[in-house]
Amino acid sequence: MTNQDKSKKQDEILGLNRRNQEYVRPYNPPSAKSLADDKIRTKKVLTKNGINTPEVYKIIRSKQQLNHLDWDSLPKSFVIKPNKGTGGNGILVFYGKRKGLYEWIRPNGKYMNQKDILLHLENILEGRYSMGDRKDVAIIEERIQNDPLLKKYSYKGVPDIRIIVFNRVPVMAMLRLPTKRSDGKANLHAGAICTGIDVGTGITTYSMMGNYKSPLSDTYDLIDTTLDLKENLPLSGVQIPNWDDILEIAVKCQESSRLGYVGVDIALDAEKGPMVFELNARPGLGIQVANQAGLRWRLERVRGLKVKSLKHGIRLAKELFGGEVEESIEAISGRQVVSIVEKIKVYHKDWSPEKEKRKKDKLYEIQNAFMDTGFKTSRIDKGLLNRIGYDKSNTFFDNKDVPSSFETFSDAQTYIDENEKEFTEDENILRLAKIFEDGKIRVRPVFDVNIKISKEIKNIEMLASTRKEMTYPIVIGRKDSKGYLIDTTKTF
Amino acid sequence: MELLTLSEATNWMVDNGISLQMLEILIMIPVIATLVSITRYLIGFKTFGIYPTIILGISYSFTGLRYGLAITMIVIFASLLTHKVLSKIRMHYITRIAVNYCLLVIFLSGALLLINKFGLGLENIENINPLAVVSIAALSDFFIKIYVKKSFKNTFRSLLETILIATIGWLIITRDVISEFLLNNIWLILLLIAINLSLGQFKGLRFIDNFRFKSVIKKKDDKPGQE
Repeated sequence: MTNQDKSKKQDEILGLNRRNQEYVRPYNPPSAKSLADDKIRTKKVLTKNGINTPEVYKIIRSKQQLNHLDWDSLPKSFVIKPNKGTGGNGILVFYGKRKGLYEWIRPNGKYMNQKDILLHLENILEGRYSMGDRKDVAIIEERIQNDPLLKKYSYKGVPDIRIIVFNRVPVMAMLRLPTKRSDGKANLHAGAICTGIDVGTGITTYSMMGNYKSPLSDTYDLIDTTLDLKENLPLSGVQIPNWDDILEIAVKCQESSRLGYVGVDIALDAEKGPMVFELNARPGLGIQVANQAGLRWRLERVRGLKVKSLKHGIRLAKELFGGEVEESIEAISGRQVVSIVEKIKVYHKDWSPEKEKRKKDKLYEIQNAFMDTGFKTSRIDKGLLNRIGYDKSNTFFDNKDVPSSFETFSDAQTYIDENEKEFTEDENILRLAKIFEDGKIRVRPVFDVNIKISKEIKNIEMLASTRKEMTYPIVIGRKDSKGYLIDTTKTF
Repeated sequence: MELLTLSEATNWMVDNGISLQMLEILIMIPVIATLVSITRYLIGFKTFGIYPTIILGISYSFTGLRYGLAITMIVIFASLLTHKVLSKIRMHYITRIAVNYCLLVIFLSGALLLINKFGLGLENIENINPLAVVSIAALSDFFIKIYVKKSFKNTFRSLLETILIATIGWLIITRDVISEFLLNNIWLILLLIAINLSLGQFKGLRFIDNFRFKSVIKKKDDKPGQE
C-alpha cells in the first residue's frame, strides 16, 4: 500500500474530533440530545410514533419507592437499566428465577439475591452509572425473547443491531452479539462481538471485538467466527431477518427524535419483531472497524441530499452503500418460483446443447439442490463433481498440498492471493475460494458447471465441497438464487 | 529566583503586589490546561480532566517528583482497596466517599510512619508541604468516580496520562530556565489562547485513531468471510 492510498483511506475515516464538530454539534440540538439521553422519554416519543420498545414493568425514582417494590410482581426474566446510563454501564440482565426464592439468574450463571439487586438499584438511583453525577431513575423492563436466528450466534443476553442514520439515510449498520465476557450486554466496550452489516442486503460482513490485551483501550481484533459457544459459527454471510423493516424503523426513529445524526439500537424479538432499545446522540466509531469501511465519506455523500421520503432514504442507502446491490429487490413480479429443495439437472463437463439435440448419450444427472442464501457461492459435492467429468481437476487440486485448514479467513485469503495462479493452470479450475466447513476454515477450488433449474439452463460457479454432513449434493447460494422466489412451503 | 532579571511587565506586576511565586503558579494553570487540551485532541489522551491535572502538577512542584509520585501511588492503592471493601456495603453515596477519605488518611499516616522508620528512599518526607499532600489525596475522588464507570484498564490509563502531564508541569515549574522564560514572557498566555482557539476547530484524526482504525486504513480489498 502506498502512502497516498493510506492517506486516502485515512480521509475516509471519521474520528472523534470530526464527529463532534461536524455532525453531533450541528445536527443534534440540545433538546434532542437530552431526549436520547433519557430512555423513559425516548420510549414515550417512539411509542407515540408507532415504534415498538420493550415494555416497562417498573420505574423507580426514589429510595422510598424501592422500599415498597412489589417483588412478587416481577416476572422470571427482566432487565434493570439506569435511565441515563451510558455504554451499557449498570445494566443487569436476568433470565430466570429460583423457585420460591427472591433470587434471579444472570447470564454468567450466577444467582443474585434480593439484597444485591436492591444495592444495585440504589447505586443506579445515586447516579453511579449515569452521565455526570446526577441522581438517576432505575427502569425494570421486559427482556427481549431472542429471535431464533440471532440466538444461535450470541452467548445468552440480547443481541442488537446498531444503525447510524443521517439525513434520513441509514448510513452504516452492525450487529452486536453478547459474549461470555460481555455478561449478556451487547456493548462493544463490555466485550461484545460487533459484525458489520451490508446496508444493501442485510447480510453480515466483517467481525471484530475489543482487544483487551492491548494497553490502548480502543483497539480491536478482526475475527471470523463466534468464540465461546458450544458450536462456533462463521459470522459473515448471515442474513438479518426483516432487514427492510429494520431500516425503516431506524429512519422513523431519526425523524421522530429530531436527532440529525443518530445511532439507533434495535433488537429482534421472537414474537414482537424489531424493537427499539435506545437512541444514541453520540454513536461510537467502532462500527467502522466492523464494516471495514469509513463513515466520513458516507456521511459526506449524504449531507445536503434532498431526501423526499422514508423509502427514498432507504433506496439511497442501498444504492450508495450496499455492497452487492441485488436487483431482485426491485421487481418481484416475473420471478420464477423455486422450492427450497428443487430438482435440477446437472450437466456433464462435455455436455453441449448440440450434443443434447443428438440425444446420443445421457450427459446429465438429476439431483436435489438446496437453496441456501446463507452461502454466497453455490456448492457441489466432490463425488458428484467427479462423476460429471471433473475427476482429473479434483485430483490435480488434491495433489497440490493445500493446508487442510486456516486460522483465519484473512490467512486463507493470503494463501489464495499467493498461490491461485498455480491452480488455475488446470483447465477447469476457475479460482480458489475460502469456506467454513466442518468447523474449519478451508480453501476449495471453484468450477464452472452447467445446470438446468426451473426450465432455464445456466452456467454457474460452484465450489467443490467435501463436507461430511452435506444432505444435498448441491447447494445453490445467493449469487445464483437471485431472481428466484424461494417458496418454503413447496417441496417438489 | 531573586537574581532574576525580569521583563518590564513582570517587574511592574511584582511591584504592584503579585508575588513572584504566585505569578509562577498562576502561569502554570493555563500551561497545564493547554497541555491537557493538546494531548486530548491531537493524541487522544483521556486524563481525569483539567482540574486534577493542574492540582497534581502544582502539588508535585511543592513535594518534589519522587515524593509526589510516592504519595500518588499510596493514595490510588488505598482508594482501590477501600472501594473494593465498601462496594459490598449498602450505604449513601456521600457517606461512602467520606469513609473512603477516612481510610485514606489512616493509610497515608501509616505510610508516613513506615517511611519514617525504614526510610525507603523517601527520608525527610515530614518536611513536605501538607497542603500539597492533601491536594494529591483529592485525586482519590476523581479516580474512583471514573473507576466505577469504566474498566480498570481505562481508568489506569487515564491516571497514567494525568500523571504524565502533571510531571511535565512539574518539570516546567522546577527547571529555572523554563519558568524564568515563562515569567519574562507573560504574553505567551495569549499564544495559549490562540492555540486553544484553533485546536477547538480541529477536525482531523487523533493520533490514537490511527491505531483504532488500523485495520480499516490498511484494509486490502478482499471479500469478507466465506463464500
